Amino acid sequence: MNVKNKESSVSFSQLWQRYGTLGILVLLLVILAVLQPQFFFKADTITQILSQSSVNILIALGEFFAILIAGIDLSVGSVVALSGMFTAKLMVGGVAPLLAVTLGIFLGAVLGFLNGVLVNSTGLHPFIITLGTQAIYRGATLIFSNSSAVFGFPPSFTKFMAQRVLYVPVSAIIAFAAALVLAFLTKKTKLGRNIYALGGNKESAWYSGINIKLHTLIVFIISGICSGIAGAVLLGRVGSAEPAAATGFETYAIAAAIIGGTSFFGGKGKIFGVVMGGLIIGVINFGMNLLSVSSTLQQVVMGALIIGSVTLDRFVANRK
Amino acid sequence: MIRIKTLAEMKNVVKKFPGVTALSGISFDIRAGEVHVLLGENGAGKSTLMKILSGVHKPTSGEIIISGKTYEYLTPFDSYQNGISVIYQELSVINELSIQENLFIGHLPLKKLGFVNVVDYDEMNSRAKQLLEAVGLNRDPKTFVEELSISEKQQVEIAKALASDSKILIMDEPTASLTNSEISHLFAIVRKLKKQGKGIVFISHKLGEIMAIGDRVTVLKDGGYVGTKSISEVTQDDLVTMMVGRQVAKNYQNPDADFEKETVIFEVKNLSRKDEKVKNVSFKLRKGEILGFSGLVGSGRSEMMNSIFGAEPKSSGEIFIDGHSVKINSPYTAIQYGLAMVTENRRETGFFHNFDIAENISILPFIKDSSLGGVGGLVSGDDEKLWSEEQIKKLNVKCFSPRQLVAELSGGNQQKVILGKWLAAQSRIIIFDEPTKGIDVGSKSEIYALMRSLADEGKGVLVVSSELPELLAVCDTIAVFREGEIVKTFDYRDATEEKIILASTAQKGEG
Repeated sequence: MNVKNKESSVSFSQLWQRYGTLGILVLLLVILAVLQPQFFFKADTITQILSQSSVNILIALGEFFAILIAGIDLSVGSVVALSGMFTAKLMVGGVAPLLAVTLGIFLGAVLGFLNGVLVNSTGLHPFIITLGTQAIYRGATLIFSNSSAVFGFPPSFTKFMAQRVLYVPVSAIIAFAAALVLAFLTKKTKLGRNIYALGGNKESAWYSGINIKLHTLIVFIISGICSGIAGAVLLGRVGSAEPAAATGFETYAIAAAIIGGTSFFGGKGKIFGVVMGGLIIGVINFGMNLLSVSSTLQQVVMGALIIGSVTLDRFVANRK
Repeated sequence: MIRIKTLAEMKNVVKKFPGVTALSGISFDIRAGEVHVLLGENGAGKSTLMKILSGVHKPTSGEIIISGKTYEYLTPFDSYQNGISVIYQELSVINELSIQENLFIGHLPLKKLGFVNVVDYDEMNSRAKQLLEAVGLNRDPKTFVEELSISEKQQVEIAKALASDSKILIMDEPTASLTNSEISHLFAIVRKLKKQGKGIVFISHKLGEIMAIGDRVTVLKDGGYVGTKSISEVTQDDLVTMMVGRQVAKNYQNPDADFEKETVIFEVKNLSRKDEKVKNVSFKLRKGEILGFSGLVGSGRSEMMNSIFGAEPKSSGEIFIDGHSVKINSPYTAIQYGLAMVTENRRETGFFHNFDIAENISILPFIKDSSLGGVGGLVSGDDEKLWSEEQIKKLNVKCFSPRQLVAELSGGNQQKVILGKWLAAQSRIIIFDEPTKGIDVGSKSEIYALMRSLADEGKGVLVVSSELPELLAVCDTIAVFREGEIVKTFDYRDATEEKIILASTAQKGEG
C-alpha cells in the first residue's frame, strides 16, 4: 500500500502513483471539451457521467476487495440482478421501499457469504467458484422472475432516486458514501490492514495470526453488499428490474479496479483509485455517446483503452 | 587387478561468487563402476561443485577433463553430451506426463508418417519397458507420474538418466525422503548400475549409509578440499573428524550459568503428529536458557515448531507456559499466549513485501490487541510510529525511514524487522527457525547477540539450526533430533560437532 522511495523529495513516478488516475480523468474530460464544446459545457454533463458511473463504481468497490486478496469475484453482475429483482418484487408487492432495499442488500450479503463459504470449503480459486455462482445466481434470477421484467415501483422510491443535490445525483452520493466508508475501512481499521496483509502474503499472514478463512469470507460479504446496493441503485436508474440486468458488468468492475491501480497479484490498491477508475470508464462511455461512436465500436475502444491505460500506468510507475 | 578407468576429473576448481569463495581449489574424479561419496556440512560446497559438473555454474578457474578432452567450463549441453545426469533432491519429473513421456522428453523416438515426423509410441513404450525393468520399477510406462510415490518417481529419474545413456549419475541426497525398505531397493539399483560400469556420485549426510554403499569418499569443508579416502580404510568417526572444525568467532553463553535451579518457563510434553514427523517429544526450557535443536534436514524439527506454534496440527501433546497448560490451535492463539515464530523462509512466511517497515512491525501488536479474534479495532498511526521506531532503534535496523519497504533491505535487516514485529507484540517465548539462513557474517553475530540478550531479559529462546557452529556458539543446551525424536541432549560444555553429528546420523539401533 505505501509505496515510498528513499528520497524525501517527491518524484514524478510517486506523483503519478498518487494522482495518475486523476490526471487521466482530467485529460479525458479536456479532450471531450475540445472535441464537442457545444454539448460538453451543459449543466447536466456532470450529472449524466456521475449517474452512468455510480452502479459501476459500487460494484467495483466490492470487486476491489476480491482482487486485493489475489482473488476475483465474477458473480457481481448476477448478484446485482438477483438482489435487484428481489427488491423490486418486494416493492411491487407492497413492502416499504426502505425495507425492501435493506432486504435486497441483505440478500447481496448472503450471496457473497455463499461465495466465501464455497471458496473456503473447497479451497478452489475464487475465479472458479464465482464463475459457477455467476451462472447459478443468474439462473436463480430467471427462475424467481419467471424470465420477465418487474416494474411499477412506488413513486416515493423513483422520486427519491431521481433527486440530485446541485449536479450530483442520489445514485452518485450513495456510491461516494460507500467509497468513504470503505476507504475508512482500508486505511483505519485492523480488518483493512489484515486484508492487505492477506493479499500480500497469505503464508506470512497465517503465521502472523490472521484468520485466513474469516477474512476471505468478510471480503466476499463486502463484495456482495456492494453489489446489493448497486442492484437497488440500478432499479432507480432503469425504472424496472430486468432478469438480464447487469450482464457482463463484472468486466467493467474489474477494469475500474485495475485502471485505478489495484494489483492483480493482491495486496496493493486504493479505494480512491477505484473511484477514479470507475469515473474514467464513465467518461469514456459518455464521451463515445457524445461523439456518436456506434455501440459496436464502443466495445473495441473500451477494450483498447483498458489495455492502454494500464500499460501506461506500469510504464510510468516503473520509470525511476 | 582391475584396470581403473576415470570417467571425469575436476582439477583445482575454484568458484567465487560476489563476496564469497564457494570453492577453493577442489579436485575430484569419478571412476567407472564406483560410488564416490561427496560429504560435507551444509554450505560446504557439495552442490556448487556438482553444479559445475552439470554445467549450471562456470568455474572461476580450474579444469574439467572428460574422456581425454579438457574443458575450462561445461555448458549444460556439454554435460549432457558427455553423459552426465543429475538426480536432484527435488525431483524434476513432470507429474502431468506419463512415465514413458518423462523418460524420453527432449529426445522422443520418431517415425515418418507421410512427410511429417510423429512420435513413435510403440517404440517409446517398448524402450520404456526395458528401462523400467533395469531400475526394477514394476509399472506400466503409460502410468501418469503423479500417481507414483516419491521413491518410484526417483526410479523414473534414474531410468531417465539411463535413457539418455548417461555414464555419470550424480545423486543429491537420494535417500532423504525414503523409507528403509525403499533405501535398500535404491541401493540394489545403485549396485546394479555400478556393475554396468557407471560412475555414481552420491551426496549424503547419513554416515551409516555412506559406509554401506560407498567405494570412495571425498570430504569438503567450507568450500575447501579436506581429502579423498577409500571407504574400506575409514571409520564413521574419521569422517566426522574430517567434516567438522569450523569456528564461530566467539561464544555467547555465560560459562557460569547453571539453569538447573532456574524455573521452567516453557515445557512441551509428549508432542506427536499424525504424519509421524514428530513422535512423542518432550522438553523443558528454563529461564535465561537458550535451547537449540540440531538434526538433519527433514528430521522433524521445523515440523515440531510449527505444531507448537499452532501453524500445523498436532495429534497429541501438552504445552505449558510458566507451569500453566495452554491450548494452542492456531498461530492466533499462540500469539495471545506470547509465543513468537521467526520462520525459516523470510520471503514466504516472514514479511509482507507490500508493507513498509512500520506496517510490518505493527501488524502483530495490532492483531494481538484486537477484539473479535484479530478482526476488530482501529489502527493507530501514532502507535505504528512509536512501535516501529522503538524496534528499529533497539535492533539497529539499517534503513532510511520506517516507511521504507522491507523488500529493499538486506537479509539481516529483514530478519531484524521480523524479530521486531514479535518484540513489539511483547512476545515471551521466541522460536527461531534457521535464524541466520542467507545472512552475512556481520549480521549473524548481531543476531546471536540479540538472542542472548533476549534470554537474559527472561524471554524463552528456542533455536532450530542446521549450522552446528552456530548452535554451539549460542545455545546453552542442544537437543539432537533424529527421525522425529529427541535422541540426545547435550550441555554445550560437553557438546562437540563430532558428538552431535554422530547422534543425528546414527542409524536406528546404533548410538
